[in-house]
Amino acid sequence: MANVKNWQLGRDMTYPYEARYPSRQFAFVFNINRCIACQSCTMACKSTWTFSKGQEHMWWANVETKPYGGYPTWWDVKILEKLEEANPGGQVWSGKPADNRFAPYGKFDGQTIFEAAGRALTPDSARVLGYLPTDEEWNAPNIYEDNPVGKKGVRNTLHETGESLPTHNTWFFYLARICNHCSYPACLAACPRRAIYKRPEDGIVLIDQAECRGYRKCVEACPYKKTMYRGNTRTSEKCIGCYPRVEGTDPESGGEPMETRCMAACIGQIRMQGLVKIAEDGTWAEDRYHPLYFLVHVAKVALPLYPQFGTQPNGYYIPPRWVPRPYLRQMFGPGVDRAIESYTSPSRELLAVLQLFRRSNRIIFRYDIEEGPKIYEGTLHGRKVEIYNDTIIAFGRNGRELFRTTVEEPVHVRPAVHANSI
Amino acid sequence: MPYDNPESSDPNELIGVELPGDESVTREMAAAFADEFAQLGWGRSAILALYRTPEYAGAHRSWQLLGDEEISRVVDESLKVWGRFRCIVTDAPEPPVEPRWEPLRFFR
Repeated sequence: MANVKNWQLGRDMTYPYEARYPSRQFAFVFNINRCIACQSCTMACKSTWTFSKGQEHMWWANVETKPYGGYPTWWDVKILEKLEEANPGGQVWSGKPADNRFAPYGKFDGQTIFEAAGRALTPDSARVLGYLPTDEEWNAPNIYEDNPVGKKGVRNTLHETGESLPTHNTWFFYLARICNHCSYPACLAACPRRAIYKRPEDGIVLIDQAECRGYRKCVEACPYKKTMYRGNTRTSEKCIGCYPRVEGTDPESGGEPMETRCMAACIGQIRMQGLVKIAEDGTWAEDRYHPLYFLVHVAKVALPLYPQFGTQPNGYYIPPRWVPRPYLRQMFGPGVDRAIESYTSPSRELLAVLQLFRRSNRIIFRYDIEEGPKIYEGTLHGRKVEIYNDTIIAFGRNGRELFRTTVEEPVHVRPAVHANSI
Repeated sequence: MPYDNPESSDPNELIGVELPGDESVTREMAAAFADEFAQLGWGRSAILALYRTPEYAGAHRSWQLLGDEEISRVVDESLKVWGRFRCIVTDAPEPPVEPRWEPLRFFR
């Protein structure tokens, strides 16, 4: 086992291979305050990549109702339980969230899935703590939560009033998920064939279909359960990060890096995807005016999903502000309180950067703000709000402007027919 | 696609969570959806339709618990701030595409 630096945990950890980092890393931020589980992302991915025979159960992108839903069922509860069994009472963080880029959330004192494997698994060759979901657990992308099916036995109908949806009398929220294209992928670590690789140019994790023999070690190891087995080809498959779009070779992209299908289809505009610069030690290289760098390392509103698993996932979430904090701290780590505070009382720059979400299908590499006058000052829900007419300009890979957004107070012109109707 | 409700005796079914929410959580959830969609530029009727539509279970449950009047008040409160403005997005002009010359081909 090698020793590698995991900045999300604020410490070094063991990993089966020596660390190797891409020059840029596929990463994304989802603002789940906005997600209404319309499943547009789910269907965009399904209709692009997993519509074939043998892929019926595959949802590389899915949205699940937390804490009730999951795909596969209870994936996170199960791996959290396994970690707790391996290290009872020890899965805790110490220190406090700080401005330190190498330990922004404090230090995780517990065991990652790689470290716990040595304690909990036999034989010794087992590298990653995990489990293999049953066939039933792969049944639906948000089982029992998004299936307003019609009357039993009547096909192709819906209950028009949605009465067959479950009712939750307490809080819940929607968690949109794709492969996190982790910096220390558990699937890659577990593959006995070395069929899984991480691309040096963008950090996208792929399974070489010619090498895969379908042992399902990756399915067992991935704590997020985003590798899936295909029975008719006897290989495993996973999200490919829509790499032809990301690398700009898709005919639609016109040579410019383009966001993935799930990002582009998001009607709630919750998603932003980017390619962040990676430093030699695996941390994010300082890139102050990259929108993802700003959200993760400057405003600190976006947090990794279950960082304690130890894979250093590259998916980040702006946590839902209404959910009880203990639940969010378990899911996103100790940075939650600071993130919600920052999001609910946004800085001028954060308000501007939030305007970049889903304004273009092109990947944004840099932004610039031209400051304008203050146009509103007041309060909302007891918090002070200031709005400025700032113009935020997004730039693509080659420094070319992609778009700019500004704010305007609409002028409503009374139609001539009602000119004197007051 | 499951057609039956989960069996209550099934030990793998989650039937509750240890962190119950109170009315303030529901209210915050309702306010969050109103704020977010008002910032996206949605109008009053569109946002209210989101709460009233059963398929959008999160917003709809808060509407059921708090009532139409309270949700309308929450939406109006958000629109009072975010509904005053709208975001204008201007795409930069696409760079000129170099014409690709191809040899003449004859078809029979």
